[in-house]
Amino acid sequence: MRFRLREWWLRWRESFRHRDGSETEEELRFHLEMAEQDAVRRGQDAREARLRAGGVAQAAEAVRDQFIIPWLSDFLRDSRHGVRLLRRSPLFTAAAIVSLALGIGANTAIFTLIDAVLLRMMPVQEPGRLVQFGRDLSFPKFRHFRQELRCFTDMFAHSSLGRRDIIFDEDPEPASLEFVSGNYYSVLGVSTFAGRTFDSDIDRSPTAVAVISHAYWKRRFALDPSAIGRAFRWNSRSFTIIGIASPEFTGVVPGKLAEITLPLSMAGEVLGDPGRLTGYQVNWLESMGRLRAGYTIEMAQAEVATIYSRMIHTEAEQQKGNEFQRRKILAQRMPLEASGNGFDFLRFRFAEPLRLLMGIVALILLIACVNLANLLLGRATTRRREIAVRLAMGAGRGRVLRQMLAEGILLAAAAGILGVLLAWWSANALVTMMSNGGEPIALSLRPDLRVLAFAAAISAVACLLFSLAPAIQVTRHGIQPALAEARSGARWRWGRGLITAQVAISVLLVIGAGLFGSTLLRLYSLETGFHRDDVTLISVKTDRAGLQGHALRGSILESLRSMPGVATASFEMSPLSYKGWEMGARVEGYTYGPNEDMHVHVNFIAEDYFRTLSIPVIQGREFNERDTAASPKVVVVNEAFARRYFQGQSPLGKWLGFTGPDRMEIVGMVKDVRSRSLRGEIPAAVYVDAVQANRPPSGVYIVRGAGIAGIVDSALKRVDTRLRATDVRTLDEDLSRSILRERILGTLSGLFGALSLILVSVGVYGVMAFQVARRQKEIGIRMALGARPVQVTAMVLAETAVPVGAGVAVGVAGALGLTRLAEKMLYGVAPTDPVTFAGASGILILLALLAAYLPSRRAARMSPVETLRCD
Amino acid sequence: MPNEQKAGVLQGTLDLMVLQTVATLGPLHGYAISARIEHVSGGAIQLNMGSLYPGLLRLEQRGFIRAQWDRTETNRRARYYSITAAGRRQLQTEKTEWARMTAIIQAVLKGDAS
Repeated sequence: MRFRLREWWLRWRESFRHRDGSETEEELRFHLEMAEQDAVRRGQDAREARLRAGGVAQAAEAVRDQFIIPWLSDFLRDSRHGVRLLRRSPLFTAAAIVSLALGIGANTAIFTLIDAVLLRMMPVQEPGRLVQFGRDLSFPKFRHFRQELRCFTDMFAHSSLGRRDIIFDEDPEPASLEFVSGNYYSVLGVSTFAGRTFDSDIDRSPTAVAVISHAYWKRRFALDPSAIGRAFRWNSRSFTIIGIASPEFTGVVPGKLAEITLPLSMAGEVLGDPGRLTGYQVNWLESMGRLRAGYTIEMAQAEVATIYSRMIHTEAEQQKGNEFQRRKILAQRMPLEASGNGFDFLRFRFAEPLRLLMGIVALILLIACVNLANLLLGRATTRRREIAVRLAMGAGRGRVLRQMLAEGILLAAAAGILGVLLAWWSANALVTMMSNGGEPIALSLRPDLRVLAFAAAISAVACLLFSLAPAIQVTRHGIQPALAEARSGARWRWGRGLITAQVAISVLLVIGAGLFGSTLLRLYSLETGFHRDDVTLISVKTDRAGLQGHALRGSILESLRSMPGVATASFEMSPLSYKGWEMGARVEGYTYGPNEDMHVHVNFIAEDYFRTLSIPVIQGREFNERDTAASPKVVVVNEAFARRYFQGQSPLGKWLGFTGPDRMEIVGMVKDVRSRSLRGEIPAAVYVDAVQANRPPSGVYIVRGAGIAGIVDSALKRVDTRLRATDVRTLDEDLSRSILRERILGTLSGLFGALSLILVSVGVYGVMAFQVARRQKEIGIRMALGARPVQVTAMVLAETAVPVGAGVAVGVAGALGLTRLAEKMLYGVAPTDPVTFAGASGILILLALLAAYLPSRRAARMSPVETLRCD
Repeated sequence: MPNEQKAGVLQGTLDLMVLQTVATLGPLHGYAISARIEHVSGGAIQLNMGSLYPGLLRLEQRGFIRAQWDRTETNRRARYYSITAAGRRQLQTEKTEWARMTAIIQAVLKGDAS
């Protein structure tokens, strides 16, 4: 084996060198001479001896094939030849590489995201055996499951708290906190880098300790080992750091950093909410189990379903009086899902758009390949004679194919490298876009081996697509027709096919872009019911302030109102972009059906709320200073509420109540306002005065006025120096965050649609320019016989129109089938919107004819004499 | 496949014969090697250049023989091949293997006849 290796190594090395075969020839000639001499000496026929020894040329060839690795050497020679050819036409080369790099880069970028969000497994032990619960569990339920389930070796629970302020020394600093069960690290199989993890009985006996992530250790402590043993305060409790998790582990929620994990048994105490641990229906924990060997996810599902149905029956029993609630509870299911790649959150929001984008970029790459195939075919056709000569001289067709392939490989390799760089940059840009001002999304986007393999694979496929097809086409006819300079009718058939394919794909992409674009526009221009300009939302961190509750809110509002530039200021619990708050309501004078859903949308607001948002008060009044905690309880409702409960009659003076004994009088009705993600029906809504709420609600401050961002800090400081604004954004920004998915799809599909249009124009131009050049003579004759330039132009355009029309037809047909799949991601526009379809078709036809017009005009301008003389 | 196998066997035996020749007679040029093999085999094996020289090169690449330009008795330039230490060891193992194989095949053939 060692000797074989030596042989191949030498042959490999020699393949890269220029070899002088003269010594071999000398040796072979010497052999022949000796053979002849010997024969003569023995009195035999010299010629026969010579024949027996064989030919020098063939033997030299055999020695050469042993000296090097023939295919490698051929490839290297072809590559050098290819490089020379490419350098001779730098413009062609640059265009080819850039368009291909765009295609490969876009594919790799989207794949990088898909890999990070959907595919990559967590760096934990046997991630394939982790299974996640589809619903949040309460702590008692979690313990119940943990005790009963046989299918798991163990299961853990966790809950993200997001960024919170903690205090090491003096000043509060933000860190991402997470509550976890004591067995979190052991079930995941994540070891500690230093220190230890939680004790196994920490769920029963709460201890104020914390395990930090390696990344946090690096960020906060600069890898200082003395971090272990340090303590920080959070919500007036002191936690001691006992360990640092291993560096690869970044948490179980892809895209979310978990910097500090705390034992969830501390949650009751530290959040001041004992119900967190005891409440049977306080579902706040995400949970994952590790399948026992021999168990499948289906078996686990069956076991979980049995236990869960017992749980919800008990729960439903407690809702005896309320048939609606009872049914709602009984209808609940507990799905299990493989979760080796972590809890979904990004997956849930971005899986569909990402898959869709993957499809789009694959089509872009296809267009780029078709273009390149066309360009290479053009070049190959001009080399037809050369190739025919080589075939005639005995070069195998395979050899000629390989030579042409080498050029393709060079282009694909260059474009692949450029594409990966492009992808790296754009994937990061995309993630920034996805996080969009909210909590940053932490995805590891290093191009790992898988991404690089992906890029290499698509480059290879692309290369085969665009370089092999023309190569086969050119060598297919062998020697005869090419030498006879046959008409390249076949080439025109090809060109037509390419135009049709490109136009079809592009129509599809442009239609998609149109649909997502109008979805976006419609969401933006939606009649929301209020004025969005000049309204600023301010989230405030209040937990360290001296004043609390209603008094604090009152002071902050007062301070804000006194600032210059502020027209009005108010407060609300759920900003419009948030998932709203729902409560069961009893509306007096309304007869409920037996199973009717009693829930209405509820928002707690301060005085001046409607004025600040310019929501018209249609009847009655909005809250004012005379409404206090002591005054009679009043509410304001929206039009949808009046429609639902009072058949559109005036709701003023009517009464309603929530779960408590209080009755509230309706004193005003306002115009309907869109909320949540701007979609869907407007729900019946009740506005409650925050002052009259039993517990002071938390929420955001809303201010109408100019230059608000600049005055927020001083306004807060005037109330209490410990207050801090955590998020200041305009209402517009806030709303656009809620339509992030649509924005990403709209923007990117538009971008890719435009890219496809550019590529198609280049493609059509290339094909038609070549076609016109080929027919110069014919056109010259036509013009000599009296054809007018207009007629020539018309002829070329007519020839283009046929494949373009076919492409549009195919594309529209494809789009009719495909856009339905994206229906869920559209809003306010049908998946078969005729305007979009017609528009996209129109744009492509126009663009294609324009691209064909340039060469046709050139043809029409040629002087007949000149064209006849050339060639 | 059968063809390839046959070629493999032939290539193996060619290597063996060349190594044996160079080992017993010392440095020889290509023609001398082929002449010697032809002579010893009683004219049964006639090597043409197309298989001899690639074979010599292969043995050289594997480090079993060494090649050097030198002068013949008639003062002509020729390439002389001589065996290396690795070549000697290889020859020994191949010879043993060959003897073992022929013994086995012979035994099988005899058993078949009876």
